[in-house]
Amino acid sequence: MASSQMPKSILKKKTAYPATASSQAKADRDRETAVYHANILKTRKETELDVLLSTETLLDYPTSSQPADNPSVEDATTLKALLKPFQPSDYDALIIERNIENRCGFALCPKPNRKDTSGQKFRFIGQSGRAENFKIVHTAELEKWCSEACARRALYIRVQLSESPAWEREAVESRVKIDLLDEPKSVEMTVAEDLQRLNLNDNAFQHNQQGRADLAMERGDQGFTARNGLVDVKILERNVQRQPEAPSSNEGELSGQFSNMHLALEGHTPSFDTRNKIGHDGDDEMMDWKM
Amino acid sequence: MSADEDRRVKQLEAGNREAARMWRAWRTIHQMVQDRGYTLAEEEVNMSLREFKDKHCSNDGHVSKANMKFSAHPSDDMMRKYSTPPTLREPNPPAPDIGPIWCEFLEADNVGIKHLRTFAQYLSANNFHTGILITSVNITPSALKIIPAVANETRIETFNEQDLLVNITHHELVPKHVLLSKEEKSALLERYRLKDTQLPRIQMTDPVARYMGLRRGQVVKIIRKSETAGRYASYRLCV
Ligand SMILES: [Zn+2]
Repeated sequence: MASSQMPKSILKKKTAYPATASSQAKADRDRETAVYHANILKTRKETELDVLLSTETLLDYPTSSQPADNPSVEDATTLKALLKPFQPSDYDALIIERNIENRCGFALCPKPNRKDTSGQKFRFIGQSGRAENFKIVHTAELEKWCSEACARRALYIRVQLSESPAWEREAVESRVKIDLLDEPKSVEMTVAEDLQRLNLNDNAFQHNQQGRADLAMERGDQGFTARNGLVDVKILERNVQRQPEAPSSNEGELSGQFSNMHLALEGHTPSFDTRNKIGHDGDDEMMDWKM
Repeated sequence: MSADEDRRVKQLEAGNREAARMWRAWRTIHQMVQDRGYTLAEEEVNMSLREFKDKHCSNDGHVSKANMKFSAHPSDDMMRKYSTPPTLREPNPPAPDIGPIWCEFLEADNVGIKHLRTFAQYLSANNFHTGILITSVNITPSALKIIPAVANETRIETFNEQDLLVNITHHELVPKHVLLSKEEKSALLERYRLKDTQLPRIQMTDPVARYMGLRRGQVVKIIRKSETAGRYASYRLCV
């Protein structure tokens, strides 16, 4: 009798492989994931190369010998365009590279950077010993620029750069506009600027811009990576058919509230025995949102 | 001894120290190039300090790095090592990814994008497959980004003089590393029925890997001497 029975295997039962359809779906999903990550990597690489090439271009700036407080229009425009994908760290790298080439750290300055020959590590800055404009500064910090004015010009740009890497920036952020401390003062530019200020639609344009930014924020628009994300999240508004009703505050309810006010957590009173009661008639009203 | 003479002596001593330092780096880089399989004349590799001074030092003992550069061609043996064996599917495999190498010492207090770009342009213009740039200071991070950017034209490696003062592979605790050819690699994997990713690994940034100029996917045989087991070989995949 024992011999007629099949011996029971102690090994794990082989689970049948999922049907071809689902393994096909899995393969598709895997492929999608791979493509998604490859795309992120690609964008990232492209941006980094972009920043590198821009750094190389800006090493030899300015192209004209215009002084730093009145740069040429083309140089200023290119600078603003090239700096857009930069993070502050990239910008710092640019300054270092310019200093290696013996140039002032501010990209629109044609002068060489200062060289301190004293060999001291720190320097005093300030006049007449007044406390508020008296500073002790690293010599290395001073050697980045030709003058203090240029340091201000360069740092004025730095604070406008976005901390997040360009490939992760949100749609709104990627529309960074960089201003210079000293904009070009050529005639056409001034006229153009005045015209822009005169532009009647400017206000509307700004309003529009703001509106778009708000919308992007509200939708949770998060730039390339999230826009083409793996999870497709759709938020739907829930339709409530019931007539809206003003919250009532009649005596009975109020006194009821007072009696268990000590149980309230940030205004919410946890209830246990009344849960079912709310459950069957009030569930829908309690939640007017749905994923 | 007058103060003037004193200073002269000190200068000379400093010059001598610097010359000895540079000579050691010069010797190591030659050994490295030779160990990788490039052809170099023995007298170039084993140059004495005196010869080095005659060749690269000025009268006051200062080392002039401007002339510290050389090139070498891969030996037939090295070509074989880097070649892809023909298979049934691909009877005509691509030519071995190896070629002449150029080594150069750079005299600069700061090494930035410009230096690396110039170096890369020099390599491309002269059809050097590989270039080794030896600097006395660290290269800026953005300059190092040039290396991957030009990777499809030429292969740049950088070393710090400091790291070349001794030849690490001559240290008794560093086992012998031998690069496997593609053919040997596939034979190894077949013999042990492995995928290459199942091998232990060696980082491309590992000092010995850098010395050998290992590339991702190459396998090295590491031969250790064991007191109990005689010679003992292990294999590592470069990642
Ligand atoms: Zn300046």
